[in-house]
Amino acid sequence: MTFNETSAIALKESFAPKKFLDFAMNQAVWILLVLAIVVMGIFRPSFYSFGILSNILVQATVLGLLAIAISMVIILGDINLSTVGTAGFSALSGVLAMKSGLPVILSILLILVVGSLIGLVNGLIVTKLKANALITTLAMNMVLMGALLAITGGTSISQLPDSYKFVSQSNIGGFPILPIVMFAVFALFYVIWQRTRFGRALFAVGGNPRGAYIAGINVDRVKIGAYVVSGLLCGLAGWLLSGYMGAVTSSFGSSYEMQVIAAAVIGGVSLTGGKGSMQGVLAGTLLLTVIQVGLAILGIPQTLITLAGGLMIFAAVLIDALRNLYNSRV
Amino acid sequence: MSTEQPLLQVRSVSKTFGVTRALTDVSLEVGAGEIHSLLGRNGAGKSTVVNIIAGIYAPTTGEVLFDGVDIRQLSIFQRQSLGIRLVPQHENSFQDLSVAENIFTGVLPTRGAFVDWKTIHREAAAELASYGLHVDPKTPVRELSSIDARKLNIIRAMHSGAKLIILDEPTTALTSRERAELFQFVRALQERGTAFIFISHYLGEVRELSKSITVLRDGRAYSVDNVAEASEAYLGNLVAGEDVELTMRDASTAPGAAATFVEASGLTGEHLDDVSLSIRKGEILGVVGFPGSGAREFCRTLAGVNRREAGTVTIDGRPVSLANPQNAIRNGIAYISYDRHREGILPSFDINENIGVAGHGGKLRTLGGFVNLALQKQLSRDYRDELKIKSNSIFEPMESLSGGNQQKVIVGRALNIDPRLLILDEPTVGIDIKSREEIISTVLRLTREGMSTIYLTNDYEELLRVADRLVFFDDGEIVAVLDNNDITIDELIAIRDRAKETA
Repeated sequence: MTFNETSAIALKESFAPKKFLDFAMNQAVWILLVLAIVVMGIFRPSFYSFGILSNILVQATVLGLLAIAISMVIILGDINLSTVGTAGFSALSGVLAMKSGLPVILSILLILVVGSLIGLVNGLIVTKLKANALITTLAMNMVLMGALLAITGGTSISQLPDSYKFVSQSNIGGFPILPIVMFAVFALFYVIWQRTRFGRALFAVGGNPRGAYIAGINVDRVKIGAYVVSGLLCGLAGWLLSGYMGAVTSSFGSSYEMQVIAAAVIGGVSLTGGKGSMQGVLAGTLLLTVIQVGLAILGIPQTLITLAGGLMIFAAVLIDALRNLYNSRV
Repeated sequence: MSTEQPLLQVRSVSKTFGVTRALTDVSLEVGAGEIHSLLGRNGAGKSTVVNIIAGIYAPTTGEVLFDGVDIRQLSIFQRQSLGIRLVPQHENSFQDLSVAENIFTGVLPTRGAFVDWKTIHREAAAELASYGLHVDPKTPVRELSSIDARKLNIIRAMHSGAKLIILDEPTTALTSRERAELFQFVRALQERGTAFIFISHYLGEVRELSKSITVLRDGRAYSVDNVAEASEAYLGNLVAGEDVELTMRDASTAPGAAATFVEASGLTGEHLDDVSLSIRKGEILGVVGFPGSGAREFCRTLAGVNRREAGTVTIDGRPVSLANPQNAIRNGIAYISYDRHREGILPSFDINENIGVAGHGGKLRTLGGFVNLALQKQLSRDYRDELKIKSNSIFEPMESLSGGNQQKVIVGRALNIDPRLLILDEPTVGIDIKSREEIISTVLRLTREGMSTIYLTNDYEELLRVADRLVFFDDGEIVAVLDNNDITIDELIAIRDRAKETA
């Protein structure tokens, strides 16, 4: 019997455990999420209160929106490092306009428009000038964060009207509105990714841009579209976060910076492009938030939070690498 | 009968890819200092044999011995250090490095911490001279003629101590005169004791160069120990096979000149200089020409892939822009690239969506930007049945398919846009013979129903079998347009070379 025949039989015999491993590898994040919730409950039974669980969902909303924003670009095989800067700068422009008399509803609209425009600029630079997305969006982020700091002069802009903060701070029947927005946006983008021509083109371009072009996809337009949508979502996140905090600060959103990529990558959006799902991004977002809130409830000191954040990103990269190794092996 | 052990022994090797059987019980022997030819058509299994010898694939069953030692467990690099070298069809030199650097690739001699250029250039010059290649070792490889680049590839292999050099279709893109020069070069090395495996489509050149031949057909080997004793007709039958039913174009279906459908006039661009040609409705137009002659560029310009600097194209008398593939597809022009992996397969999609994708902007489009998933599934199933794509379901990933079935998926994608003009650029390279005939017969059926086809291939037997007309390109211009009436392969090659050699 040759080597190949024996290995073929070995493969057959290991079929049942292999199926389980397949499942575990592909659902790793949901399994970890359940585990994390169970472990937190063992240490702190109070974790299962309505207050804490709904607080986790509220906390997850901004991260979730930013994670979708970055996933729109990662799925192309590019990266958008300017999500947090875009959120901060567009929130700032809306709030400043509102302070100088623009009606609330128009100010919110302005935030979304500014976010989209920043995305458009990113998209044009990356496609038409063929600049590297990593450097382009890194520079964009520094410019936006720097502008935020310069304009606010290190202070906070607060005392925002209640109507501006309504979505971020109100409840419907005792349940906060924020998570409803999050789930709605995830559902919307699930449909966009799976069923629309634009969504499928994102996957085609991420898998093989040259092949996608030959197959009749307008690659540049798809990419620019992805950056614009990414910027729009950052604007939305910026509005909701400023409403939730009741202010725009000079270091607006910087606590999310590390977690955004981690949430997308833990959720299975491959950094090489062409692979990922909205369910995954949602799971990645919830897992990171549960750990974050959990650590706070367990009383881990603030000084260790950065360390914990770094370890989380490591975990993300390792999970992604292991999954890729596993899938290429079969 | 010599008692000396053959240098290379391939014993009863079989190879399967998934459900496709690529090789069945193939055996062959190559002695030291022998030129052994591997003859067969696209898809016969030549590349699979070579890849098994070089160590790129492992055989499913059977043995491979080199110098009497079983080498199946050795990597491609270990086999290289034993002296097995594969010189691929496509240039694998470093185009922007000098000739000398290419010879020394990987092991540049150093003096202290620095590269010793003096020694490199001196030794490279000596080596080039000893093989009779008279070029300056400092010349960038990009500037070499294609015949010199081919010789350089062989010299690179010799430099690293090759005992067996596998030449994968080295004569494609060479004129007859250059081919004779290459053969002379190979014979000189053979006399010094180097063995060669020479891979070819063509009977004539194989008879000229080698004494022993292995003919591959449909994954089976037929060995011919003494070529001189075998008649040309006998060899021809071995290559073609009486058992395989070859699809033939019925000459009486050729449309007349009145049926002009696409009119290209004054096309100018990369390797295209003021080319005008009309394509008839329902015809298969065969395109012949060396790389850089404008043959492929003509195809790619009509497909919207290459940029057109001047000239116009009209379809049914209406001018079209063809600024990009999207626009070409919208105008009913589908293109299948010679590079299936880079320009064909979308690895993030399953079979279903790989077939559907080009129709997302066309008939699969629904209100609000959605893709009609139900219709996509139904059409993918239709094309799977029509093209006989072998897979468990249309939701399998592309990598689960053999090369032939992957190509059928790409063909399905092109047909899915209901093309009025189908452009096929080397559609049968690296696929099995059965897939090839299935693809060809589908194309023949559709052209009979009115689709026009441009067919570019280096397998001239195949081309003469399907084409209604032939157009010859050289130096960016059309040099001849002929009806395909009893033209032989030799005549075709003569016309192709005449243009280049008189230029």
